[in-house]
Amino acid sequence: MRRWNFSWDKGVGIFLIVAVMIGTLLSDNFANASNLSFVLRDVTEFAIIALAMTFLIISGEIDLSVASALNLSSASLGFLYRAGVPFELAIIGGLLVGLACGLFNGYLVTKLGLPSLAVTIATLALYRGLSYVLLGNQPVNELPEFWISIGYGRILGTFLPWSTILLVVLAAIAWFVLHHTRYGRWTFAIGVNAEAARFSGIPVERTKLMLFAMTGLMAGVAGVVYTLRFASASPDGAVGYELSIIAAVLFGGVSIAGGVGTMWGVIAAVLSLGVIRSALQLTGFTANSLLIVSGALLLISVIAPKITEALRKRPSALGKDNTKKTIREVGNEKPTH
Amino acid sequence: MKTFKRLVTARELPVFIALVAVVLLAGIANPSFLSASGATDILLGVAIVAILAVGQTFVIVMRHIDLSVGSLIGFTSFLIGDIYAQGYGLMAGLGAALAVGLVVGAVNGFLVAYLQLPSLVVTLGALYIVRGVFNDYAFGRTITAAMVPPEIAWIGLNRLGSIPYLFIIGLSLAIVSGIVMRRVKAARDLYAIGSNPAAAELAGIPVARRVFGAFLFNGALTGLAGAVMLGRFNAANANSGLALELIVIAACVVGGVTIAGGSGTVWGAFLGAILLQAITRTIGALGIPQFWQQAFNGALIIIAIAFDKYLNSRVKTTTIMGSKDA
Amino acid sequence: MVLSKPETGTPVLEMAHVAKSFGGVRALVDASLTLYAGEVHALLGENGAGKSTLLKTLAGVHRADAGEIRLNGGDFHQGNTRDSIDQGIAVIYQEPSLFPDLTLAENVYVGRQLTSGGLVDWAAMEKGAQALFDRLGVSLDPMAKARGISIADQQIVEIAKALSTDTTVIVMDEPTAALSSKEVERLFSVVRNLRDQGSAVVFVSHRLDEVFALCDRMTVMRDGSTVASSLISETSESEVVRMMVGREVSELFPKLEPKIGDVVLEVRDLSLAGQFSNISFDVRAGEIFALAGLVGSGRSEVIRAIFGIDKYDSGSVTLLGKKLPAGKPSVSMAAGIALVPEDRRQQGLFMASSIARNVAVTMLKKLSSWLVLRRKHEESTAAKWASTLQLKFADLSDPVERLSGGNQQKVVLSKWLATEPTVLIVDEPTRGIDVGTKAEVHKLLSQKAQQGMAVIMVSSELPEVLGMADRVFVMREGEHRGTLDRSEADPETIITLATGGVMSV
Repeated sequence: MRRWNFSWDKGVGIFLIVAVMIGTLLSDNFANASNLSFVLRDVTEFAIIALAMTFLIISGEIDLSVASALNLSSASLGFLYRAGVPFELAIIGGLLVGLACGLFNGYLVTKLGLPSLAVTIATLALYRGLSYVLLGNQPVNELPEFWISIGYGRILGTFLPWSTILLVVLAAIAWFVLHHTRYGRWTFAIGVNAEAARFSGIPVERTKLMLFAMTGLMAGVAGVVYTLRFASASPDGAVGYELSIIAAVLFGGVSIAGGVGTMWGVIAAVLSLGVIRSALQLTGFTANSLLIVSGALLLISVIAPKITEALRKRPSALGKDNTKKTIREVGNEKPTH
Repeated sequence: MKTFKRLVTARELPVFIALVAVVLLAGIANPSFLSASGATDILLGVAIVAILAVGQTFVIVMRHIDLSVGSLIGFTSFLIGDIYAQGYGLMAGLGAALAVGLVVGAVNGFLVAYLQLPSLVVTLGALYIVRGVFNDYAFGRTITAAMVPPEIAWIGLNRLGSIPYLFIIGLSLAIVSGIVMRRVKAARDLYAIGSNPAAAELAGIPVARRVFGAFLFNGALTGLAGAVMLGRFNAANANSGLALELIVIAACVVGGVTIAGGSGTVWGAFLGAILLQAITRTIGALGIPQFWQQAFNGALIIIAIAFDKYLNSRVKTTTIMGSKDA
Repeated sequence: MVLSKPETGTPVLEMAHVAKSFGGVRALVDASLTLYAGEVHALLGENGAGKSTLLKTLAGVHRADAGEIRLNGGDFHQGNTRDSIDQGIAVIYQEPSLFPDLTLAENVYVGRQLTSGGLVDWAAMEKGAQALFDRLGVSLDPMAKARGISIADQQIVEIAKALSTDTTVIVMDEPTAALSSKEVERLFSVVRNLRDQGSAVVFVSHRLDEVFALCDRMTVMRDGSTVASSLISETSESEVVRMMVGREVSELFPKLEPKIGDVVLEVRDLSLAGQFSNISFDVRAGEIFALAGLVGSGRSEVIRAIFGIDKYDSGSVTLLGKKLPAGKPSVSMAAGIALVPEDRRQQGLFMASSIARNVAVTMLKKLSSWLVLRRKHEESTAAKWASTLQLKFADLSDPVERLSGGNQQKVVLSKWLATEPTVLIVDEPTRGIDVGTKAEVHKLLSQKAQQGMAVIMVSSELPEVLGMADRVFVMREGEHRGTLDRSEADPETIITLATGGVMSV
């Protein structure tokens, strides 16, 4: 199984390099510091959430409410600040709100046993709605100078935005936990076969709850970054972000069925999307093209494994025990006599 | 009496009761709500979601989902107006809308049924791609009232008594679809497929063909429904239909069409659509700021899902499907 | 209707010299089966003998590599499951698979709904299903949803489904495995009914007493081939066992001299509504404690509750003096209990994951230092256990689904033995395993017991229980029926306790 992942996320890495090269060829404005800084800043919120979403999808769940949670954190931050709370505390408030969103999702899924797809479609609406409740139609636009300069500015002398440091640290932690700790193993195990995981002593419900909570927290972090970057907290920000995040995670080699994926692949995929978007914008394509490209990448990320699977003629290459089996395997499940 | 017993235990009953309760509540708070114009208002607002919910039911019952409907209906509503405005007439516009719907439905269906890709991902991708193509096609233009074919405009504006024609279209569709779901063999197979996909295969049901057919049908229906959307709003632009799929799915879930597949009816989805709309209006009638609406929708879906799960778990399952379905 | 005499006329079904291999494994070598109208025919054999594969070939799940199959004297077309159904083959599996959201009538007619004027005719289906249920002598409501009905009732619906088409051969695969004795009786009368009406029924079962009570003829398979076929009246249980096993029973279970120590596990008044009630026993270090009984008697449920997968309602479980909380497998595991589950594929293994990952999954904490998990340690642990258990594999990073059943079970055992448990619970440890590996597993369990481990074994195979256990705890329908010492344990006593009375012959 590891051999298969190896080739997929190396593939995405190569895709990223190729995309950068094409971008450079297509436009003179591409490969300079200013643009690369823009690309990095552009992908930061997506990437932060994608880190946690990777864990979640590998474990076999999904969270469609992340963009709304991001926005609710941002709205909470704005709301608190407008109500007179010191900005630093308001930031913490925003983070806590994100965490709460994740915990609520996790509670519904693990304690009430509701399907995550349906539930997070609902909380997507709920959290977005609460953003409107908090802010009405009035975005909060007066934010402290100091913080905005961090959100928007770069590290002295380099082209790297401050938020990139945050991203690198979080990405390193995420990579480490997923691939080099037992918590990562648990996540994979649950995604491959949750029942066997339970029988192996892995605390399945507790782990899933944690994963949802982390996803919510990362949405909160992304919400804070977003607010600082745009210097505004408004109720209709980040609409539709969840789809790009999921597209990136899937394109990065994580199987929608669970149990398979690498953090490198996801990071490369997120960067690829940012690069493509930038290249498209610089060469005069409209922002729509990004939509089409995201959609196409999403489809490719699920079709390609099927094709390779058919070529290798291996019935269950994707690592999830309960995907559709051939009749033969259904037959073989029963104990032989 | 058997039919009476069946009525009382139907999944749709809670939805119906909730609907009645909401309407009464709103009526008490704001008597004009119960007037003819109040009813017309609701029914008008319901039409689009109701039609889409009917089509979506065919898909959800099989344990699949079609997220591309919002993008698609927005696109075709624009397309009809655009083609008419360019002088090709109403029928050409409808033909184009149907064609686009069939293509999208066919692609979705092919990928899900024959390549066995997860419908969530496939239709998510379709949502993106269709919206993208739509945006490029529309490119900042708008369809104004003048560009709407007069037939469509007429249907959109007029009513039979106090019932808008658009609603009647939706209701007729629901009735016919309901009968089809109940009395056509191929439609019954959809329920089997959603209830136990592995066993459906073994029972000799042509699963791939059915799944493809359902997506194709939903695509065609959604495409044509663009006319209804155009009639309703008398306008269209690149934002038409944005985020509509979520409301549609909410209507289905609220109406008793379980995400897990295998159960629920078209009538329930229809009622669910009406209920959602009624709640929206009630919030207005009660004087609660419009801002709470989306939050309410979200909370409502959660309650519907939880209640649905509760109904299912009341029956102790003896390993008929393992813990997954309980 | 007159019973047609077995040896007269054309056989309804003739399977001759069928062979089938999966990769390198020869599931069928030379298998034959002949079936006549109006008989109930038992297909007997140990786990791994090939019964299931032979029947699945008939059902269209597999296609034979060699051999002939003839139906009513004519050619049988080997296609897919639909083809077999169309040719009149109906198989009722041990775990029937109904559609929970559809009514019973719909389930009976699924895919072939009755129509009038092109539209589905609900009234006709209800009437038809009712008629079938009446014919079978059962009272089920055709308009009830299938969700939640008992396995016994599910089987009846499957049988009704089979009867609603033109069925030539009805195959029942371990139908009594999950039934209570009353339900077994009901099933038997249904089957006798079918036979009297001229059907040809294949009855697969491990329970010889039932076979001898119900069936007319039998065929015995061993290691992929048919070794005997005769009238039931012309043979005896012990002769059948000898043909099934092929060697002396005692050879198979190399039991070592037990060294039994103190009590390590105390189970008191354990109850779980609908599953079991007031179960109490002690297990000592070094002993092999067997839970015997029919399938469905609640044994697996009891051990799942002890380990913590299911939460029990009342009672207590104490390990080495410390009370264990209910419903917390990770705590039980840390305290020293291990459970090798009944369903190897669904519960015991991560089929698509590597051997190394599977073995190491219980050891992750021990293999980590300061949160860092060393992959090399995973691999070395796996390698160590693979060699200890003589696992046959190509590469530790191969997915376990490539291994044979016996080797898969060794992987599951490895992962639990690696935790060095005080109490090792094994649920049907040798089900679906070839005879050679079976002996290895038994030897391993005996060795571990002799080294001081307490072993709780759930087994439905009497020879295994008799050969291995120091004490036998017999359960029936969730209740404790008796505990036997090794010296007192014999087949008759155990069966009597397990079935609750004298068996009708």
